[in-house]
Amino acid sequence: MVPPDLNGWLFMHELSLAHDMTRIIGSALGRKIPLDRVNVTIGPLSGISPESLRFCFTEVAKIEGFGEPELVINRTRAKLICLDCDAEYETKDFYQSCPDCGSISRRILSGREFTVDSVELEEGND
Amino acid sequence: MCDDTVDQKVDIATSVMSRNDRFAADNRKLLGDKDIYTLNLISSPGAGKTTVLEFMARFFGPRMAVIEGDIQTRRDAERIEKAGCQAWQIETGGACHLDAHAVNHALGHMNLDPSELELLAIENVGNLICPSGYDLGENMRIGLLSLPEGDDKILKYPSLFSSINVLMINKIDLIPHLDFDVDRAIEECRSLNPDVLVFTVSAKTAEGMEEFCKFVELNFI
Ligand SMILES: Nc1nc2c(ncn2[C@@H]2O[C@H](COP(=O)(O)OP(=O)(O)OP(=O)(O)O)[C@@H](O)[C@H]2O)c(=O)[nH]1
Ligand SMILES: [Mg+2]
Ligand SMILES: [Zn+2]
Repeated sequence: MVPPDLNGWLFMHELSLAHDMTRIIGSALGRKIPLDRVNVTIGPLSGISPESLRFCFTEVAKIEGFGEPELVINRTRAKLICLDCDAEYETKDFYQSCPDCGSISRRILSGREFTVDSVELEEGND
Repeated sequence: MCDDTVDQKVDIATSVMSRNDRFAADNRKLLGDKDIYTLNLISSPGAGKTTVLEFMARFFGPRMAVIEGDIQTRRDAERIEKAGCQAWQIETGGACHLDAHAVNHALGHMNLDPSELELLAIENVGNLICPSGYDLGENMRIGLLSLPEGDDKILKYPSLFSSINVLMINKIDLIPHLDFDVDRAIEECRSLNPDVLVFTVSAKTAEGMEEFCKFVELNFI
């Protein structure tokens, strides 16, 4: 049962991750200042919905004193290696099979990443 | 960190999960020091996590303790206590997953000292996406998929099914009534995760459950 005062959006884990992002940014900068841009990388196996994160981060950044930065999301593809023909390939869609031999026997090499890469400060805030 | 007076850009290059991962490492150490083997059970709502744990509670008795994660209600913890185990309920108050910090807090409230305690099972909040990125400090991550959910779910939720050690396909008593292709589900799970171990069970009729419990037990005795 959803209590009416929770407003629905508290149910996203992206909200607590947006708070973790501002904590990481605050401790890297040593201060809270308005930002122009925040650059993040999200892999297709991270369990993060980029749109939910954008929604939550916009709110949290403002509340936490980082202004209204643009969230620039670098959406990576997962890297896989085919266990039948050794081909390496990349995908976001795991229904896609090996482009060389069509096998879905494979090992995932990457795709779980979720990082704050960098932030860009507003002019005159250096 | 780069020179921010030139391009106003500051490199950060930090994993957002790092805070959770630090708590997970603490949990793993705390539980490891006490020789407690820990499971993290993840599935969609109603796939049968609590029913599986009720069977395990009868099998292991006081050798097992359970942490129950639910958005709101102590009902699942009461079911486990009735089945014969210590249970601690985390009410997430709206969050769609458990994180390592919440588990750390629960561990502080539980009695982890009885010498017979060897196994901790954590029932995550019913959800196939949100819990997948959160290491809780477990030794074994178990994904449950039940027949009524359909045999196409594995590749739709790759963040979970690529991260599990064990796939449990539950509710196999329903095979005659559904067109779920068990072999397809297993093949697709292996395509994300070639090392995954698979158990097909019915927590309701107990088919395959004793074999599963004995497999879990082999990891810590
Ligand atoms: N037919 C059948 N029903 C089952 C089986 N296992 C569980 N159920 C039923 O499925 C329903 C949900 O089971 P639970 O154990 O509460 O599921 P859960 O995953 O703990 O659910 P949440 O905690 O709400 O996410 C109950 O009505 C169970 O009796 C099974 O093997 N076969
Ligand atoms: Mg339950
Ligand atoms: Zn191939």
